[in-house]
Amino acid sequence: MNQAKAAIAGSGATPMYFRGESAPQTIYELIGKAVIAAVADAGLTLDEVDGLAFFAFGFDTGLVIENLGLKNVTFAACVSGFGGGMAGILDLAAMGIESGRAKNIVCIGATQQIGRRLGQAIGNFATSPDNVFHRIAGISGPGQALALQARRHMHLYGTRREAFGEVVMASRAAASTRETAFRRKPLTLDDYMASPMLADPLCRLDFCLETDGALAFVVTSSERAADMPHPPVYISGSAQVGCADWGRAFFWLGQPEESFVSAGGVPVAKRLYESTGLGPSDIDVALIYDHFSPLVIMQLEDFGFCQRGEGGPFVESGAIRLNGSIPVNPHGGHLSDAYVVGMTHVREAVEQLRGVAVNQIAGAKTALVTGGPAPTPMTATILSNTL
Amino acid sequence: MTRISLCPDHSALEVAMDQWSEPFWRAGENGKLIMPHCTACGTFRWPPRAFCPECRASDVTWADPGKPSIYSFTVLPVPGADKNAPPQWRVPVVVEFDSAPAVRLVSVLIDAPIDQVAIGQSLAVEWHSAANTKVPVFRLAR
Repeated sequence: MNQAKAAIAGSGATPMYFRGESAPQTIYELIGKAVIAAVADAGLTLDEVDGLAFFAFGFDTGLVIENLGLKNVTFAACVSGFGGGMAGILDLAAMGIESGRAKNIVCIGATQQIGRRLGQAIGNFATSPDNVFHRIAGISGPGQALALQARRHMHLYGTRREAFGEVVMASRAAASTRETAFRRKPLTLDDYMASPMLADPLCRLDFCLETDGALAFVVTSSERAADMPHPPVYISGSAQVGCADWGRAFFWLGQPEESFVSAGGVPVAKRLYESTGLGPSDIDVALIYDHFSPLVIMQLEDFGFCQRGEGGPFVESGAIRLNGSIPVNPHGGHLSDAYVVGMTHVREAVEQLRGVAVNQIAGAKTALVTGGPAPTPMTATILSNTL
Repeated sequence: MTRISLCPDHSALEVAMDQWSEPFWRAGENGKLIMPHCTACGTFRWPPRAFCPECRASDVTWADPGKPSIYSFTVLPVPGADKNAPPQWRVPVVVEFDSAPAVRLVSVLIDAPIDQVAIGQSLAVEWHSAANTKVPVFRLAR
């Protein structure tokens, strides 16, 4: 069934830093270190890198190439979505391999928050006819806007803050065993409820970390990957879908109701499952983009792990814990481990499927990685360690 | 203590507009809230733009979208000018209109007792001065 022609053969990263603390390194230094590490992990040299894949996070491709002295890049492409496009870089890389455009494509993601914060990403833009209403409202960050979607979900389905709390507690419990995670102290529901409200119904603990770092992954043909040092992590399938119903997401807030109470992933899930012949019951571990805890619940609904509106009771049942029916973010995710726009989720998927993760899910064969609920197009990828 | 949502000062806000949105602001200066309505298929479009999302026609007539109510809201703590200043709360609100199902306006709910704010409540619009026009804000309808 799985005829994946491309696989992840190398994974590399810098250390993770709290927001701004990666200075005096530049973001291109961070990217360079991650690429060098990923290429070494794949048993390759930089001279064998002939492709680059990004998502729209503002890197200068020329500078990346110049910085690393790459001489023969025959494929350099970018998925247009921001965090929503993150998982799509693996799709892009697989396309580059399958079409013969390049042999060794490095997927890159990085964050460095000096002088500006991703948490205030809406306020960072100049005023325009389209965003002036957010200014009037006083919405300066994605969390404030997504709080409006979370409240509507609570209103329609009776979703409780206890469910948001469970997402955070599960994340923290997973991160507690991970030495490099930023937030490791186990959390009780009382601790959660005592956290100050930042954008009611979201409290501080519902907001993810803001960290600096870079990660890179080498994608090559499944055939070549079989001869490389690590077991291949096959790119079983990916989906990228742009849809006006979701539109600019939290920059807009005009989604039709069924989209407004979702994470925008429904058409992505449909296409992903149709193209791979897989479904939610085939997924062993889910790497769900957790910039804000309610969006984990909405994505679990979008990707069919439970019905629309049942995400709250589903997580409260313990389903997303390491021993639950669908372990979510065994590394602690963006809420507790680190935040590099979803790239740490790809790393965790690779480690799970190599069988070397800190919190290894026994026998994990198939992993789902979702891009962030953010402006369309949205993306997701299924990875597997078996052909 | 009854928490009351604050009434932000928009007087320094420069409203960016284009040919599609300008009629909204000009009507607001006269205290009227109107939205673009597709001449071809009758769909309200928001924000104002060149194409109808349903039929892709461009021409619009400007119409009253009906009675506003709360579709969703959040409550943001606003730090005081100094540590001793009392805390304040700003309430961004997503507004829906009973005659324009496809449309939602993002705005702010002012002077509202926060513990009594709920989805579905009726609203009344008010136009407050900005740098170059007036902007719509809402209060709970009496």
